[in-house]
Amino acid sequence: MSPSASLYDATVVLDDRLVLRRVSVEIGPGLTVLRGPNGAGKTTLLRALAGLVPLTRGSRRVSSPPLFIGQRSMLLRGLSARENLEFLAAFRGQPRINARAGINARVGISARVGASSADALRAWGLGSVMDQPVERLSAGERHRASLARLMTEPSELVLLDEPFSELDLGGVELVRGAIAEAMSGDRAVVLVTHAHPEVDADAVARLHMDGGALVGG
Amino acid sequence: MIARTRLVALRELMSERRHPDGLAAALTFTGLLVLIESLAFGPGRAREPDVASGVFWIAILFASVLLSTRSFDRDLEDDAIDAILALPRARDALYAGKVLALVALLGIVALAAGTFSIFLLDLAPALPGHLALVSVLGVIALPPVVVLTGALALRVPARVAVVPILTFPMLVPQLVAATQGASAALQGRGPESLAWCGLLAAFAFVYTVLGLTIVPAAVE
Repeated sequence: MSPSASLYDATVVLDDRLVLRRVSVEIGPGLTVLRGPNGAGKTTLLRALAGLVPLTRGSRRVSSPPLFIGQRSMLLRGLSARENLEFLAAFRGQPRINARAGINARVGISARVGASSADALRAWGLGSVMDQPVERLSAGERHRASLARLMTEPSELVLLDEPFSELDLGGVELVRGAIAEAMSGDRAVVLVTHAHPEVDADAVARLHMDGGALVGG
Repeated sequence: MIARTRLVALRELMSERRHPDGLAAALTFTGLLVLIESLAFGPGRAREPDVASGVFWIAILFASVLLSTRSFDRDLEDDAIDAILALPRARDALYAGKVLALVALLGIVALAAGTFSIFLLDLAPALPGHLALVSVLGVIALPPVVVLTGALALRVPARVAVVPILTFPMLVPQLVAATQGASAALQGRGPESLAWCGLLAAFAFVYTVLGLTIVPAAVE
């Protein structure tokens, strides 16, 4: 089976600092857990897979547009959590079902697949605050809102950077459930985390980074 | 591409509507500049077509940079822009959507500042239709350049200083065309005003194509 994503001889230099050195990796279906100390290059590797950092050398290949959820919420202030999720799902081409008067309806994109943003946010415990501007939400609520994208933007390749941070126990359980859901079928999930060693049990691959390079797994 | 462009433009306008700090700053700045111009030059000179239109377009130029910078600032908070950049064919839609939104916002600023100028300076445009056409084309001609430089300088640390340094030299031809076109319309020189309009339209087209070509490859 062909990999969902791969990097070949990938090198990234940012601000004159070598942050990724000649990394070659193939990501297949299932859960891949990526660990390593701070500054090892884990986030850069994930961002390289997402196409968010230019490769100084090497090449990148992905089978489909990845869903990248970073350490920060990636939600636009001024819009509500629901509007943010509607916008991103519509931009990806997966507008929600049952569009009420949301962005999708206004730009005339027909409904196709993916959970509605409202349903997803309710599932992540944000039903009462989903229409508030995201800047009024707590850091944990914003993080939950960004993780709700797992339901509104189903993707063949999911890249999660420290998804457990800023979450309470209920949130951690939701993330684990969402990862299990995201792994269904032939989908690939890459998870960067420092904590929660129990997730390794579900992983089909375990990678370790240090000094910008993969050192085993 | 068209649907995504509309999405980005709508997102920009919704965000600006909820937090109109960029628009408020642009309106205040242009209004104050017109007011200060009338005081600095005196009522006689300030009403001269070349002076009045020159100050007006300089104000609009600064307003366009203000609005664009605020828009990119919002996108950089919490890495919101990365959610878009990680999606396929996102960069050209991001550029085009931001240009469209800036045209709309700049149109509001130009309408308010233009109306204010006409009443404050007691201007009587000889060719109001031509003046309106110059204004519309001027408002369309500036954003493709301003958004292009904003996108190219997205991750530059001194972005606030770099964007004007990159933008203003590139906008000199548009500034001259808009100023001269408006001045000619104020004085009743129709053919000359239309000639400058053609130049503005050409610049708007060229820089839009240039932006759509460069931004997808250059934005990180």
